[in-house]
Amino acid sequence: MKRKNLGRATLVALPFLLALVTDLVLLAVFRDRLPGQLASHFRADGRADGYVGQVWHAVANALLFAVTGALWTLTVVRGKFYGWAYRWLVAGGYAFAGFLGWVMAAVLLANVDAGENAQGEAQGVSFPMWQLAVALGVAVLAGGLGMVLAALGPVPKQPAATGRAGEGARIALADGEVAGWARSAGSWWLPLIALALVAGGVVLLFVSGWAAAIPLLLLGVLLAAFARPYVVVDRRGITISGMLPWPRLRVPLDRIEAATSRDINPLAEYGGWGYRIRPGRSGVMIRSGEGIVATLAGGRDFAVTVDDSATGAALLNTLIDQRRAEH
Amino acid sequence: MLFRVDPTSTVPLGDQIAASVRRAVAEGAVVPGERLPAARVLADSLGVNVHTVLRGYQQLREEGLIELRRGRGAVVTGGASPHRARLLERVREVVADARELGMTEDELLTLVRTALDNP
Repeated sequence: MKRKNLGRATLVALPFLLALVTDLVLLAVFRDRLPGQLASHFRADGRADGYVGQVWHAVANALLFAVTGALWTLTVVRGKFYGWAYRWLVAGGYAFAGFLGWVMAAVLLANVDAGENAQGEAQGVSFPMWQLAVALGVAVLAGGLGMVLAALGPVPKQPAATGRAGEGARIALADGEVAGWARSAGSWWLPLIALALVAGGVVLLFVSGWAAAIPLLLLGVLLAAFARPYVVVDRRGITISGMLPWPRLRVPLDRIEAATSRDINPLAEYGGWGYRIRPGRSGVMIRSGEGIVATLAGGRDFAVTVDDSATGAALLNTLIDQRRAEH
Repeated sequence: MLFRVDPTSTVPLGDQIAASVRRAVAEGAVVPGERLPAARVLADSLGVNVHTVLRGYQQLREEGLIELRRGRGAVVTGGASPHRARLLERVREVVADARELGMTEDELLTLVRTALDNP
């Protein structure tokens, strides 16, 4: 088992490592032909409007590939991804690393033999937008390669015991009895983040205008609406609502095949916190620990972290039994 | 917490909702500081009237199990222990039994007072 994990970790970390090594090798080879301040940020017309020193370029790239590569590796090894979801995940890592690696290399090459101005900034460097299209093409190729490589090794299979219909506890309901399960799922940091986003948006509004502030403000307001989330399980399915009737998130009972309660590792399984979408699963991650995991028709998973999830899952299974009995 | 109501039962729906919360506190599924669902949310979920839910919440407030605060909604009080919730359940059972026996309010209160005076 350990050895399998090592193989998988190597497989998924490889493209990130390759992209970083390519970048560092290019930097070393062309060191004498590169300007002191590399053109690193470009406007839509391809002209440079941001510069960074060679050392910082190397440090930033090393951090970028190390952090994203580590997260992707953790996800593959500990994230409980099986079958096609596992293959898509590996392919996604290859595509991501391929895209970024290509862009970074292309930016470096565009800087080769560029003139310097008095501050050492690169002159006359351009990075046309079609380079992004090429990078997308590279991403598709790299993703395809990742898909093939993932399929060559042993693809992890779903353990047979999890989330099958008919398993797990039930709640005995009398004829005609209506049941609902409700639980607050909030966390102390949710309102703080919402507040920070809105405050940041207001600051941006004054510093750099509407265009930059609106996305941040919208996100802040959306998060504020969900600052005190409530999870409800009833005859309609799973509903996660905020303080107002809308917006809310609902998975209809018709789409749920089975439910179970288990510990969830948000970082490994969902790549972080918040509303997360991953290959073969989606979910609302508010904290680590127990939560309801529902298996949907078509094999996808929907999860939400919430206390007393065993009762919620048991009621879901009871309601699913009722629905099946009616048909 | 698990809410269950039986529309065919003779017990008023508001009482059934209050009983659900009492049971959740008694079983330890809900601890002090926990927020109850907004009355509107719970009413939608169970398919009952908002006022029915509020009647249930009002009952729990009078028993000291929850606090109703404007803006914060219904919150389980610090004094709401499983022990206390079980006591409240038993008190309601005693009252129901007394009614079944045809006892008047005064007769029951006299019995309770006698028990209090002769510990």
